[in-house]
This record gives sequence, C-alpha cells and structure tokens, in this order.
Amino acid sequence: MEDLKRTLKQLIIESLNLQGMKPEDIDDNASLFGDGLGLDSIDSLELMVLLERNYGIKIEDAREGRKILTSVQTMAEYIQQNTKAIS
Amino acid sequence: MTQPLYILSACAISAQHTYDATRFLDPVLSVNDGKLFMIDADYARYISPVAIRRMSRMLKAGITAGMKCLEDAGVKTPDGIIIGSARGSVTDMQNFLKDMINMKEEALTPTAFIQSTYNSVNGWLAMMTKCTSYNQTYVHRGFSLELCLLDAQLMLAETTEKKYLLAGGFDELTDEYYIIRDKIGYYKKQMPESQALLNHYDTPGSIGGEGASFFTVTNDADKASCAIHGLQMLLQPTSEALQAAMADMLSQNGLKNEDIDVLVCGMNGDSRNHFLVDPLIATCADKTTIATFKQFSGEYDTASGFGLWLVNYLFVHSCIPTETVYKQGTSDEINNVLLCNITISGDATLVLVKRNSLAG
Amino acid sequence: MAERVVVTAVGIISALGMGKDAHVAAIRNRQSGVKAVMHLKSLHSAEFVLGEIDKSNDDLASLMGLPTGDNGYTRTTLLSLAAMKDLLEHVDISVLHNEPFAFINANTVGGMSKMEDIYMDVISPDNDEQNNKYINTLDCAESTENVAAHYGLKPLMATISTACSSSSNSLLLGARMIKQGVVKRAVCGGGDALSRFTLNGFNSLKNVDKQLCQPFDQNRGGLNLGEAAGFCLLESESAAKARGANIIAVLSGYANTNDAYHPTAPSPTGEGACRTMQQALDMAKLAPGDIGYINAHGTATQNNDLAEGLAIQKLFGPNPPAFSSTKPYTGHTLAAAGVIEAIFSMWAMEEQMIIPNLNFETPMEELTIKPATALKENEPVNHVLSNSFGFGGSNVSLVFSKA
Repeated sequence: MEDLKRTLKQLIIESLNLQGMKPEDIDDNASLFGDGLGLDSIDSLELMVLLERNYGIKIEDAREGRKILTSVQTMAEYIQQNTKAIS
Repeated sequence: MTQPLYILSACAISAQHTYDATRFLDPVLSVNDGKLFMIDADYARYISPVAIRRMSRMLKAGITAGMKCLEDAGVKTPDGIIIGSARGSVTDMQNFLKDMINMKEEALTPTAFIQSTYNSVNGWLAMMTKCTSYNQTYVHRGFSLELCLLDAQLMLAETTEKKYLLAGGFDELTDEYYIIRDKIGYYKKQMPESQALLNHYDTPGSIGGEGASFFTVTNDADKASCAIHGLQMLLQPTSEALQAAMADMLSQNGLKNEDIDVLVCGMNGDSRNHFLVDPLIATCADKTTIATFKQFSGEYDTASGFGLWLVNYLFVHSCIPTETVYKQGTSDEINNVLLCNITISGDATLVLVKRNSLAG
Repeated sequence: MAERVVVTAVGIISALGMGKDAHVAAIRNRQSGVKAVMHLKSLHSAEFVLGEIDKSNDDLASLMGLPTGDNGYTRTTLLSLAAMKDLLEHVDISVLHNEPFAFINANTVGGMSKMEDIYMDVISPDNDEQNNKYINTLDCAESTENVAAHYGLKPLMATISTACSSSSNSLLLGARMIKQGVVKRAVCGGGDALSRFTLNGFNSLKNVDKQLCQPFDQNRGGLNLGEAAGFCLLESESAAKARGANIIAVLSGYANTNDAYHPTAPSPTGEGACRTMQQALDMAKLAPGDIGYINAHGTATQNNDLAEGLAIQKLFGPNPPAFSSTKPYTGHTLAAAGVIEAIFSMWAMEEQMIIPNLNFETPMEELTIKPATALKENEPVNHVLSNSFGFGGSNVSLVFSKA
C-alpha cells in the first residue's frame, strides 16, 4: 500500500506537471481538489486517464470519479480493491 | 480608414531579442537549419504556477506577450481582445492528434485538445485580465493579424468613448509543421544562414519562423507614439494591383511616394515573389529607407506582427537599426512608415503608420 | 445613424438535409437527424450517435460537379460548398461579383476530417502524391479560400475560430463591416465536418452522450456531435432594396462577450450568458418581453444548460418566451452551430412557429422554467434570439426581427 501510494504520487506529479513538487510533499489524506492541492476539473479528467492508462481502471461516472479522486489515500484504496484480480 | 488606430504599446516574443527591446539585434541571432524558434521569455512572471504547468510553449508565449503589452500600456483590463493565428497552438494539435492515433482512440487526456482550440490564448488573456467584453479570433492565413487590426478599427469607430484593445498575432513552428510546410513549398531546399536570407533571392522558398506580437491599440491619441492610418489586404495581387493599392492609400492620406520615410518590407527571399517586390523597391523615392525583417523573424503567417513591432520600434526610438537597412534613403526623419508584407502564397498586406503629432 | 443590416438569402446543409424545405419538414415531423454512424471511421463509431450528413464525400463532390475520389477537397470544404450552392439557389451570383463584398467563414478544425487519416504519412519526409493534394488543409482558412475560388469570387475574406460561437461571430463581423461601409454585402457563416479529433476530444472531456441528447433535462448526459454548414447573405437595407431583394429578417442586435472564468466551462451562475443576451437586446432596442422565441445554445452538457437556463430565467423571468435547443435535430455542429441556429430562428419567425425541444422529459431541479416541447404554429413571433456559447468563455447572442 505504501509503495502504491508513493508510485501514485509520482505519477500524479508527472501527469499534472506539478513542477517542484516531490512525492513526500503530498499528504496521503490531503484533499486533491479545492483547498488541498488546488487541482481543478481538468486535472480530475487527467487523473481518470492516469488510472486508466496505468491501472486499467475505467471510471465512467463523473460523480463516482469525484469520490475516488478525493485524496491519494482514496485513490490507492480504490486501485487496490479493483486490481486484486490482476495482482 | 475613417480614424487613426493609435498604437500605445507593442510587445513581441520572437527569434530575436524583442521581448527585451533594449537588446534588439544585439546580437543578431542566426541559424543555418531554416528554423528560427522564438527565445523563451520569463513566462512565470505573468502566469501563475497552477496555470502554467499544463500550458504548451505557444500558449505561454502568446499570453506573456499579451500581458506585457498591456502592462507597458498601463492597461489592466482592456475593452476587447482580438487575436489572429493561422494555425493556433501547433504543438497541442499534433500532440492530441498523435496521441489519438497511437492510443487507438482510448484513454485520452483533454488538455492538449482544449489548448488546440484556436481561441485558447484569447480565453486565457480574458481570464487573466478579467476582460468580459469583446473577444475575437481570426484564423485566415497571412491576413490573420491584419483582420484583427481592421476589426479593432471598426470597433473603435462605433464609439466616442476612449477604448483600449489588445490586438495581436501568434504562430508556432514545430519540426513536424516544418515538414508539412516544406511539402507546400514554404522553405528553401538549400538553407542559407538565416540572417543572409535576402541574399538568396534566386531560389524559391523562405526560412521558418514563429513568434507572438501584441499591440495595445486605442482611439486615445494622448500617449501613443504612432498610429495606423491605412490598412489593405490583397489576395494574390498582380504587381499593378499592389502598386495601385499603395498609391491609393497614400493619396487618401494626402501623401506622395517621397513622403514615405521608411518602407518596412516583408520580403521573404522567395524568388517567386520577385514580381511583387522588385517594382515595389524600384518605385521607392530616394528619400525612402527600405528596412527588412524576415531574415530575423523567419517566415510565418503572422510575421507581419514582427514587422509592425519593428515599425513601432522605429517611432519609439526614432532610429532605424542598421542591421535592418536594405537600402539607405536620404530622409533623416521618421514620420511616415509603410509596412508591406508579402506571404509565400503571394498575398500582400499594406499598413500605413504615421507619427502621432497629437501625443500629449 | 448606421443603416440596418438585413438577411436576404440563406444556405444550409445539416443532418436534416439540404435547404429550407427539408429542414422545416423535419422540424414539423419532430424528426431528428442524429443517428447511428455511417461515414465517420472512428473506433468508437458503433458506440455513439451523431448528427452526420447522409451524403458521402463522393456524393457531395458529384453534387458540386467535382471529380470523386481524392480530389483535394476536405469534407469541411465540401459541406461549405454545398451550403453556398444552396444559398446561390436564392440569389444570383452576379450580386456577389459586385464589389465591395466580404466572405466571412468559420470553422474549428479546418480540414482535420481528412488530415487525421493521413497525418502520420504527411509528417514523414517522404512525399506522397495522393496525400499532397490535401497538404494545405491543416488550417481553418482552407475551406474559405476553396469556396471563394470555386465560385470565382475575390472578396474581402476572413475566417473566424472561436469554438462553438464561431459562425455567430461571422455574422457579427459581417454586420459590423456593412454598418461601417467597408462592404455592402457579406456572405457569413461557417461549417464543420465530423472528425475523430473532435469526437475524441469531447469524449476526453466526458461530455458526450451515447444516447440522444436531452437539452435542459434533469437527466441530460452530454452532447451529440454533428456536422453542418450554413451561410447567410447580409446586406445593407438600401442595397437589398435597390435590387428588390426579399428580406428574410433584420439582424437587429448582436453581442460578443467573454466569461473570463474557465478554459472550457461557463460561469456557473450564467452571468456571462445573461450579459450577452442583455447587450444584444439593448442594441436591438428591445425589451425581453418582445422576444417570441429563443433558440438556446442548449448543448445538453451539465455545465452549459445550467448556466444558460439560469441566465434565461434571470433575464426573462419565470415566464420566458418559448425556448428550445435544436441540437437534438442536428447534433452540436460546433463552428456551424451559430449560423444554422440563426437560420432556424429566422425560419421560426418566417413560419410563425415554435420549434419543439426534442427528448425532454424531466425539468431541471435548479430551474423553474422548461423548454418548449410542442410544435406550435401560427404563433406571433416578431423577434427571435439565438445563443452560441463556446470554449474559451466565448459568448455570442444574435437578435433577428421581422422586416
């Protein structure tokens, strides 16, 4: 789980081009949108693609997507639950 | 034109030091592969870290040139934003297109698609300047910038209030786009040193370039150093038609050939344009100095923006950089400048700029 | 006092067909042109419904008397040519040869409908004769210049690209040029052909509905894309009268504003849309109550319909004039949407009818108003408003009045 979260943070930094940020700068439970990391609606679409390209997870429902993309923690949990069959 | 379009400020990001105009052509930057890419400016000065992280090169350059232009004019929120670009952000277009092809239309990210939209620089500049008024984007090849100037002039003619508009143009060069344009016949087969482009007038094609040039234009005569008094777009004119349009423009402004102090000529070194350029140069009076710029900017659809930036530079600095002089004239004043741009496809535009005698 | 600008001829091709009769008949029959994909070769073709025009590129080429096969004309240009051909059924081309005249076109992706199929070959240094026929079609002006050349016109040309408001801006520029005396006449409009580029682009924004779109419905799931081209002949009133032209409508008001809010989403309160409609009414010197029909932008995306619905409610109050989105008939035709919906609005006035909003079931929670769902005939429609809102916060509203 810790490895997954670290990888995920690295992927987020790369895909959203968060210049100057390191994985340890992102708190597991910090809100990705709004007051936390300050990401926007276009970032959320980018993150959904990140999940699809790297973990084969396709999110169709935008509202469900919002829940999954709450924080690194929620993303990691969702990945773990939905990729068990593969790993 | 019914009333002059005053130029209050100009900012260009180009292959030369134009963003920092104090270093213009010091030194001249030259390449030998036919690709004059623009020099990156301090984009982070105007664009927030959150906004800049997704932006492509052309977006950053367009936005920065626009913001600095307004800053130089002391205008926070313009009364309209009018921008021309023949091909928008090429990088975003090609990134989304190739991603779509390579990913077989699956799992695509939207950022490049959004930014490939021709009016994305318009949208960003509106957001950053909180400009909720007029916003327009012209995408007509070599006329893109001139259509902005025409629209600005029409808009200002509708009002008696003082209005300040941001007008500009940008176009991008990429290695891929170079290949495409090369197939259309844009570039020389044997590439000369770019600064020597105009010595190679015996072969077809030109050299590639890119840039962003913005102008704060207004009906307020108070602080502008110069104003546009005539504007013409000519679709593949004959030499006679170009000469006639020029004579017409001069006479409408009560001027004769010998009243032109400087002809800023957008000749691009393409042998196929001899028939337009040669008579133009031949009819220049002894007084008229001919200055050229495409050996510095490269050729692109909105390169006339670099030319207009140079025209404004002449008025602001009251001198003609020697590196630009193609033929030295006898006039020691700069009161009337004619910008004549000629494109690869043989279209021509004329912009008559006069010193603003009303400046306060 | 500037002269009035009038519309004296229109030309149109969309998924409903070509010309006025086909369109008005389809509207009266509540018949949608949005259906399973026939021509677009997307890997997603089977998943989506589109407002695709039945005619293949070869059909369009034959219609125009051009050679079929790889003839160098992109689908964008072919559609624009067809719309111009329709316009020229109603006005003699000699009228356009009389200087000064402007041709103002608009599109969002130029010849992408062809370029996306050959791009990898195009960017390889090898030259290919077939592909080279299309080499200069990557920009938006290609269709403008090709249409002008086909008809032997040498007008003052302009091409506009402001996403989904593009061709509304064409009309706005034409009106401005005529009022200022730059030209007497202008053919204004735009066209866009379907492309995988735009389908995948909108799909990446997750706002494409795989079912028929439902503008202003609580359960709307996004837009259906479509393709179309349309042109209007604008003239100064005196020029139109001098040649005894039939006046379809007066372009009595227009406004162009920007949301300055977000790269793709409108301001959620509808502030920008409201301001745009208000400014257009102001120019027309009309009160909201004078408007008989509103052709809404109504894309059926979450964001647009909420913002636009709130704006209509704010400006027109709890009992607004009949409004509908015609996108369920044609799909969202992007750069063409502005002009074809302006044409629909003028026809609503000519025919004195209210065009029903198809596929509407459930009113939106956030609104107290709902779109017109029944076709109404013999309605007194004297002034109409047509909205177009696009990416980049670009808003345009047009007002047309009876002559």
